[in-house]
Amino acid sequence: MSTQGVKRSANEFEFMRGLPFGPYLPVDSPLHRLDPRTRILLVVLLMISLLAARQPLGLVLCLAVILIGWWIAKVPFEPLWRGWLSALPFLLFLVALQILFRVGTDPDVIFQIGSLVISSADLLAGLAVLLRFSGFMAVLGLAAASLSESEITRGLEALLRPLSVLHIPTQDFVMAVQVTLRFFPLLAQTAERIAKAQASRGADWRPAGWNLVQRVKQIAPVIVPLFVASLRRAENMALAMDARGYGSLPLRTSLVSLQYHWVDAVVLVVAGTFCLVVIIV
Amino acid sequence: MEEDAAFGPESLALPPEQIQRRVEESLRQVGLWEMRQRSPHLLSAGQTQRLALAGVLAMHPLCIVFDEASTMLDPSGRSMLLETMQRLNREAVTVIFITHFMEEAVVAKRMVVFSHGQVAMDGTPDEVYAKPERLAALRLDLPPAARAAAAVRASFPDLPEGLLTPVQVIAALPEYPRPAATFPDEIPAANKEDLPPLIEVNGLGFTYMLGTPLAHRALVNVDLRVGVGEAHGLAGMTGSGKSTLMQHLNALIYPQEGQVRVAEFNLNDPNVERRQVVRKVGLVFQNPEMQFFEHFTGDEIAYGPRQLKVEEPLAERVRWAMEQVGLDFDTYKDRPLFSLSGGERRKVALASTLALKPEILLLDEPTAGLDPASRRDLLDKLLAMRDSGLTLVLSSHQMGDLARLAHDLTVFYQGRSVLTGPTVRIFEQRETLRGYGLEPPVAAQVAAGLRAKGWPLPQGIMTAEALQAAVAQALQGVDR
Repeated sequence: MSTQGVKRSANEFEFMRGLPFGPYLPVDSPLHRLDPRTRILLVVLLMISLLAARQPLGLVLCLAVILIGWWIAKVPFEPLWRGWLSALPFLLFLVALQILFRVGTDPDVIFQIGSLVISSADLLAGLAVLLRFSGFMAVLGLAAASLSESEITRGLEALLRPLSVLHIPTQDFVMAVQVTLRFFPLLAQTAERIAKAQASRGADWRPAGWNLVQRVKQIAPVIVPLFVASLRRAENMALAMDARGYGSLPLRTSLVSLQYHWVDAVVLVVAGTFCLVVIIV
Repeated sequence: MEEDAAFGPESLALPPEQIQRRVEESLRQVGLWEMRQRSPHLLSAGQTQRLALAGVLAMHPLCIVFDEASTMLDPSGRSMLLETMQRLNREAVTVIFITHFMEEAVVAKRMVVFSHGQVAMDGTPDEVYAKPERLAALRLDLPPAARAAAAVRASFPDLPEGLLTPVQVIAALPEYPRPAATFPDEIPAANKEDLPPLIEVNGLGFTYMLGTPLAHRALVNVDLRVGVGEAHGLAGMTGSGKSTLMQHLNALIYPQEGQVRVAEFNLNDPNVERRQVVRKVGLVFQNPEMQFFEHFTGDEIAYGPRQLKVEEPLAERVRWAMEQVGLDFDTYKDRPLFSLSGGERRKVALASTLALKPEILLLDEPTAGLDPASRRDLLDKLLAMRDSGLTLVLSSHQMGDLARLAHDLTVFYQGRSVLTGPTVRIFEQRETLRGYGLEPPVAAQVAAGLRAKGWPLPQGIMTAEALQAAVAQALQGVDR
C-alpha cells in the first residue's frame, strides 16, 4: 500500500511506546521462573556493577550480561532499541558535557581550543557515560518486563522485612513503590487523553523529530493539566485503597507465594562474583 | 488485572490459595477471566468498570455501594451488573445502587430519591413511579417502559398502573380485537439524494501498540458511509471499536490498513494535516470533562479558535458556541470549570468543539453519565443541530438515544462493522442484535410484543410517541 513508506506514525499519541521499559510481560522464561527476590537482587547487583565499574570494558561486560538477560527472558529487543534511540539526543548531550567539561590533567591532549582541552581520557569518560546510561536503561527495562507489580511488592517486602525490627515502616515504603509503578502507565494514558483533546481542537502535534523547541512547545501545555489530573487520580486511588481495606490489618498477604530453589542460590552466587570482578578489574 | 482484583483480599491478609480462588471466581463473574493477563490501563471504559466490580466482589463484602457503576457499560454489561446485584442480594448481601437510569431502579426493593441533599421520596419503586408529576418536578423521569405504557394508555384506558418493565407492559396488553389483518409494512423511503457520501471508510483496520508484545487489534475491515446532513449512529458493546473509529475520522489516528476519506480530506495522504481536518470535523470525546485543560469556562471554549487563529473576534465566536448549547455567555464565561454541574460541563465540552464551526460533529457517548433532565436537554440540542444540517456521527449505549437521533446505524462487534442500514431496519432485527450484545429500544420491544398479539402495527416504531400514534391508528375502525 502506498502509505506504508510514510514516516507519519499511525498513532503518535501512544506515549507508552516511547518508554524504553514497557510493562510487565507475563512470559514463561528461565528468568521469570526465578524467585522474585532473586530477580530484584540481580537487578540491584547489576546496577551496583554499572555504577562501580571503573573501566569501559567492565561496562561493556555489564551491558552484555544485561542483553543476554533480555534474551533469556524472551523480551523483545525492539522497544529497548526504540527507547534508546529516542533518548539518544539526551545521552549525547551528557556525553558532550562530560568530554568538554571534565576536569583532568592528562598528558595526551588530542586537541585544544583556548582553555578547552580534550584528551583521550576525556573521550573514554564520555564513552563510559554513554555505556553507563545505556546499561541503566537496559537493566530497568529488563526489571520492568520480568517483574510484575505484585512480585516487586512481595519481593521487596520479604527482602526488607529484617528492617521492620528497627521499626522502619517497610510495608508503607513497599506500597509507595507499588503505587509509583502503577502510576507510570496511568500518567502516560492521561497525557495521551489531554494531548488528543488539544490536538483535536487545533493544537500543533506535527512530528517534531529533533526539533527540541517544537517538542517543548507541544509538551508544555500538557504538563499542568497532567499534574492536576494526576493529583485528582491520586486522591481517588487513596480512596479506593481505603475502600478495599488497605491498612485495616497490620499484615498483608499476596496473590503469589514465594518459593526459593537451589537455582536461585546458584544464580545469586554467580551474579555476586561477576559484580565483584567488574568492580575490582 | 488479576493483581488488581487481588488487592482487597491481600489487604484482608487471606492465604494465597484463597486469594487465587477468589480472584478467579470474581473475574469469571464479571466476564473478564479470559483476558486476565491484560494490564488494567489497556482496558476499555466498560471493561474497567467490570474490573472494579470484580475487585469489590473478591472481598466478599456484606454491603456493596454501586455509585453510578453502570454509566460506561453497554446493554449486556448492564444486565450482567443488574443480575449480579440481584444474585448478591439473594445471597443476603446488602446492595445500594446509585443510578441515573430509571429502568435500573425498578429491580430495587426500596427506592430513595434525593434532591438538593435531602430525601425527596422514599418507597418501593412501584410507589415512587406512581407519582410521575412529583418525579418530573425533581427533574427525573419514568422508566422507558412506563413511558411506553403511558403512551398507549390513551387507547387502552383499562391498562393497569405500575407497569415498569417491557415484559410487564407486553403481558398486560390485550390481543388485537379483530382477526389479524394484513400488516402494513410501509416505511417512508429516506429521501437520500445521490450525493457522494461525506465520510467514506473502506476496509479500515487498526492495531494499538502495533509491533509491541501488547499489540491489541481494535478494528478489522470496517466500512462506513455517512451522507451530507445525515445523523449516523454507532452501536456496539464496549471495546467494539467505536471510539477508535471516531478518532480516525478526526485524524487523531491515521489509518494503518484501508482507506478513510472525510469531506475533501483523504486521510491516507500523508500530506493532509490534522489541523486542517479538525476545522471541519469536531470530536466530543467520551467523558469530555475529564479532558478539560483550562481553568475557566470561556478559556476552555476559546482554545480551539485561538489555536487555529479564526478571523472572527474570539469573544464573538465563544458567545456563538455557548448559545448553541444554551449556556449564557455573560453568566458562564468566567466561571471555573470545576464549579459547574455535570450537565453544564458536558455542554461546555460540546461548545468547545462547536467553537471551530465544524461541518461534521463526532460525539462519543454524548449522554453517558448525565441525569435524565440534562440528557433530554442535550438530546434536544443535538436534534436541533441535526435538523439545521450538521452531519452527526454519534456512538451510544442508549438505544433510545440512537433511535431518536440517528437516521442510519452501524453496529460494531469485536472491531468489525457487522450491520449497517436505516436505524428502523436495524432495530427490527432483535435476535441478530442480541447476538451482538444489544437490545432494541423499549418502544420497539413493546411494538414487537403487540405485533405478536396480532396487532397490525407498521415496522419502524422506536419511540413512545410513534407507538402511541400507531396504536391509535390500528384501533380505528375496530368496534369497541
